[in-house]
Amino acid sequence: MSTIRVFLLDDHELVRRGLTDLLGSTDDLEVVGEAGTAAEALRRIPAAHPDVALLDARLPDGSGIDVCREIRSSHPEVRCLILTSYDDDEALFSAVMAGAAGYLLKQIRGSSLVDGIRQVAAGQSLLDPAVTHKLMDRLRHPVQEDPLVHSLTAREREILDLIAEGLTNRQIGERLFLAEKTVKNYVSNLLAKLGMQRRTQAAVFGSGLRRSAPPSE
Amino acid sequence: MPAPDPARPAAPPRASTVESAPTRHSRPVEDGPDAQSRLRQLLAANRVISSELSLPGVLRRIVEAAREVGGARYAALGVIGPDGTLEQFVHSGMDADVVAAIGHLPQGLGVLGAVIAQPQPIRLAHIADDPRSSGFPPGHPPMESFLGVPVRSKGSVYGNLYLADRTDGGTFTAQDEELMLALAGTAGIAIENARLYDESRRRQEWLRASGEVSRHLLAGGVHEVDVLRRITDSVQRLANADVVTLVRPRPSDGEMEVVVATGVQAAALVGLRYPARDSIASQAMEAGHGILVADVDSGSAPFVHLRPMVPVTQVMALPLKGDSGPRGAIFVGRVATTRAFEPTDLVMAEMFSGHAAIALELADARSNQLRISALEERDRIARDLHDHVIQRLFAAGLSVQSTAATVSDPVVRERLTRTVDDLDDTIQQIRTTIFALTDRETAAQTLRRRTLTLVEDLNAQLGLHASVTFSGPVDALLDDSFESDVTAVVREALTNASRHTQASTIVLSVRVGADTLTIAVDDNGSGLTGSGHRSGLANLEARARRRGGRLELSNRPTGGLSLAWTVPLEPRPGQEPPR
Repeated sequence: MSTIRVFLLDDHELVRRGLTDLLGSTDDLEVVGEAGTAAEALRRIPAAHPDVALLDARLPDGSGIDVCREIRSSHPEVRCLILTSYDDDEALFSAVMAGAAGYLLKQIRGSSLVDGIRQVAAGQSLLDPAVTHKLMDRLRHPVQEDPLVHSLTAREREILDLIAEGLTNRQIGERLFLAEKTVKNYVSNLLAKLGMQRRTQAAVFGSGLRRSAPPSE
Repeated sequence: MPAPDPARPAAPPRASTVESAPTRHSRPVEDGPDAQSRLRQLLAANRVISSELSLPGVLRRIVEAAREVGGARYAALGVIGPDGTLEQFVHSGMDADVVAAIGHLPQGLGVLGAVIAQPQPIRLAHIADDPRSSGFPPGHPPMESFLGVPVRSKGSVYGNLYLADRTDGGTFTAQDEELMLALAGTAGIAIENARLYDESRRRQEWLRASGEVSRHLLAGGVHEVDVLRRITDSVQRLANADVVTLVRPRPSDGEMEVVVATGVQAAALVGLRYPARDSIASQAMEAGHGILVADVDSGSAPFVHLRPMVPVTQVMALPLKGDSGPRGAIFVGRVATTRAFEPTDLVMAEMFSGHAAIALELADARSNQLRISALEERDRIARDLHDHVIQRLFAAGLSVQSTAATVSDPVVRERLTRTVDDLDDTIQQIRTTIFALTDRETAAQTLRRRTLTLVEDLNAQLGLHASVTFSGPVDALLDDSFESDVTAVVREALTNASRHTQASTIVLSVRVGADTLTIAVDDNGSGLTGSGHRSGLANLEARARRRGGRLELSNRPTGGLSLAWTVPLEPRPGQEPPR
């Protein structure tokens, strides 16, 4: 049985060390490289040619989502898993946006982490298509008046749909006759509008809205 | 005061200019030692009158001085109102019980009215002989000689000074008339000063009131409604109004709504809504300045909506200007017509409402600022929890778990495994905390957020400390049809734990898998005890069955109740569809 080559991207050295210990305690997993920033990861992953890259969603110089999309476009054979300490809904969103094979919460218990890596290395996806479908449905038809979702342009919605289909940046570019770099910009905008900064933005945005509205109570 | 008796035979008309009294030219003012003493009296009276600043005080002193200088038994000053009748009547020389017996003050008929109609001095030897006399009311003492002169202030006739019954029993002389005209000149100036003084004093009071409102608003920690009521209270007091309301356009339909009210029917007026169109408040808001309607009944006046409740006759509306358009308006009304709103009232009230509006804006901006910095602070805490605390716990847990795998002693391994479990629970709790730290007003109101809020509310209501964790993409997988069930299960489970099993620790978890939803509630109470809480749990069971799921209840080995409510995400074939 050949070992599964794993690459770790996490800005916390403690976390990388813990993961290395955990994966090292198995017979079939091997850590072949690690990085603490998005830039390092983009340099090192092609050289390490891992089977599975475990990518922290939140990084000091970017996000694991961007890294994942870049790697999926340039090295489609590398399978990616988003590793996150956010909750499931955020993690699911991240994984779908990243075009990853799934997400793993930073949760120690059991063997879910190890099992997840094994499943993905075997070519399976951890994302249930039905679940992905429901998430995209929510994003496209928000029940609540969500100004951020409504702020998406027609082009951004189009690209969101293609991301949901699991297309890489390159494939989206080919489909829409856009340069890969342009697609990347669109995705960054989408992430900014819907993604991790959503909470702060929504808060400030919302308070701005209320300030300009006539007093009501 | 005087009102000649019509029963007495009419004498030929005698105006002061045709006065035929023999004394007419015998005692000119500049003559003799008597004249000099009267002049000194007049000068003293001028001093006394000028030293007073309040209007009522000035009027009183004028009347007293007139009686003394004019050597009359009775003296009075009538103030002419806007309708030409006497609005005020200040008198001297008549005993209080006589005044009470007459019952009402003169309105300016008869001879008194003659001085109003023709602002010229009138001098009569016998009031009752004059054809303009309209007689005295019952109880009125008889009056013989009469002298009336107009009092001018700021270029218009303010009122008249009347003397009756010269103390020596004689007729008023030309000298008396000259003295009275001189006194009336002083009186006019004193009245004007008193009015100016009163105006500046009122202006100061308005300013002080608006300063108080600003201070109150910016002190913070006060309810907006209290500040608004302070505004209407101040306006009512300072404008001598019978009713004051603060109205605002409702953002939903643009109707005007009374937010606070002071004065007549105040309690009933709060909450009153009416169409903004053509209302005086919206006219003032559009115009950007105050509007004064002196007669609500005149045809051109805008419709006053609170009239059916308060019969106001004259009103003012003052806009509350805001950064982004008018915030609302202050409505001021008077019911009685005793005194009309003057242009200065409007100017002052306008200034006040301008200050109040600025203070409201500032308070708004400040509370927004505070709220945003609180949001930013919470966001920073959430980020720190996420970026540092969870990562460290996760890393520590990983290394404990790796260590556990190498330990052969089963007791030690069991302990290490429990530690890992605890760390995982802690991480999950922190995740919920991070979620709870985000602003619930602005974040999308998802099922997860509403459930979290429900648990917090129930904790507060029931005095519980239930914790809640979520696992699985709850919001992505549960559509709104689950809401009523999730709410019912959480509410019933927590109520049950608090009322029947006396649990102190309650752990609630909402777990969503690929195709099932489980709400599990574990507590450390007395467990299942038989009757008492059956009906609520039966309801939960029915809800589970409707969705093709089940409710499981068991006593935990360590004591306490374990409740698990499990339903499929998609209705199973052959099952009743969810409600």
